[in-house]
Amino acid sequence: MSFWNTFTAELRKAGTLPASWVAVAVTLFGSAGVTVLNAVAARTALDSGAQESQGFFSAFETAYAAVPLGTVGAVVLGVVVMSSEYAANSTDAGGGRQVTATLAASPRRAVLLAAKALTVVLFVGLTAAATIPACIGVARLVIGSGPPETVGLDDALVRSVGATLYWALTGLIALAITTLARSGIIPLVVLIANSSVVSFSLLLTHVTPLAHWLPDLAGRRLFVGLPTVDGGLDAGPGALVMGAWTFALLAVAGIVFSRRDA
Amino acid sequence: MLLIEQLVKRHGSRTVLDRIGFEARPGRVTAFLGPNGAGKSSTLRILLGLDRADGGRALVGGRPYRSLRDPLRTVGSMLDGSGAHRSRTARDHLAWVARSNGIPRRRIGEVLEQVGLADAGRVRVGRYSLGMGQRLGLAAALLGRPEALVLDEPVNGLDPEGIRWIRGLLRGHADGGGTVLLSSHLMSEVAGIADDLVVVSGGRIAAAGTLDEVTAGYASLEDAFFALTGREPGLEPGREPGREQGAAR
Repeated sequence: MSFWNTFTAELRKAGTLPASWVAVAVTLFGSAGVTVLNAVAARTALDSGAQESQGFFSAFETAYAAVPLGTVGAVVLGVVVMSSEYAANSTDAGGGRQVTATLAASPRRAVLLAAKALTVVLFVGLTAAATIPACIGVARLVIGSGPPETVGLDDALVRSVGATLYWALTGLIALAITTLARSGIIPLVVLIANSSVVSFSLLLTHVTPLAHWLPDLAGRRLFVGLPTVDGGLDAGPGALVMGAWTFALLAVAGIVFSRRDA
Repeated sequence: MLLIEQLVKRHGSRTVLDRIGFEARPGRVTAFLGPNGAGKSSTLRILLGLDRADGGRALVGGRPYRSLRDPLRTVGSMLDGSGAHRSRTARDHLAWVARSNGIPRRRIGEVLEQVGLADAGRVRVGRYSLGMGQRLGLAAALLGRPEALVLDEPVNGLDPEGIRWIRGLLRGHADGGGTVLLSSHLMSEVAGIADDLVVVSGGRIAAAGTLDEVTAGYASLEDAFFALTGREPGLEPGREPGREQGAAR
């Protein structure tokens, strides 16, 4: 089956690209590192006899607070899956780009982009499935004995799925933008800065409330329960708006990718 | 097998291909000759569905490349070297190429052996020399046991032994009933391989036919080439319309 072949080839490609594993490692160890810091703070507070407030000593809350950082990993995954196609080989080796070989093997470009999108979702999903439980485990280990967990399993699961969805949609937006840009540098700089250092969308909300409808802000309540700026959309509608952005950007990328010369 | 008809390609106001047409037939090695920038790569890129034509058509066995199912089983190609990402090993590169067209994994070892890269299969492509990259590109082209081979400047970067080897390989493929279309700007390399020649200059066909037909009246292929492409010192640039013949359409 054509899609299956293209998809499994893309999976293999992503799996044999060192940059993909750097993205996974950044997510896993970055989130775990922040979790350790949060957990040490909680443990210290606990030792000095502080009273529990707002789940500060919950292992889940401690780990979950570190999860937004994983967005960076999702961005890198979304970018490298496409930017690696356009990276020029050294001139010693002919200076060619992989996209030539890719399109010769899979000339149906819409199918190819769909296969890449599914690859990003799968990689991000698996990374989340490893990262979030690992962070909870780290938090439990560091906090040690203390008050019982305040977050129920159902609640924890829903919030983890929300965070994973945010990562996946961000990864897909990164894929779409990289497809349009045909290079990873600009999407990487803009999206990583926007999701870690300073949010341009957030700054824009001071200018116009419409900025709450931008994809990253619309979806921010998918990190259920984390403190965020007031206003804007709730988790459900926000997810729909972010999903619509993602779909629209991928559709535009697909049309441009199909029509332009490789 | 490979049919190019009235192909036109423009980049802005510049016409890169001006009604290019020729055919590459089974059992024969067809060489697509021309100076750099004459339109060889543009033609091959359109044939392989990478770029779109502004007019005319390019068909593989009567169908556009983009409509082929598992195209690598019909056409093996190499443009701009291997097309492998530098951080992957040759084996990993061939593994995804094979997977994309449902080609059995055992072919990876076979083609690496065939192109003389059996010992370098686990080396990252970024550490390859130009010649090794060309061999890897050929390995990928051969992976699906295709009927046709389309190769852009395949002798680039190969040492004399490599050139001799690729001649044997392409000759063998054509003698086995396969179709070979290769582009080159190197006369001497082509003279020893080609059955049919298509000479292109400035985006137009300057001459086409069998090796003997195209070189008739000239001391060598090289003389014919320079006369046909108007590159001979002292000759006015331009083509000789009287020499369009043979397989040209």
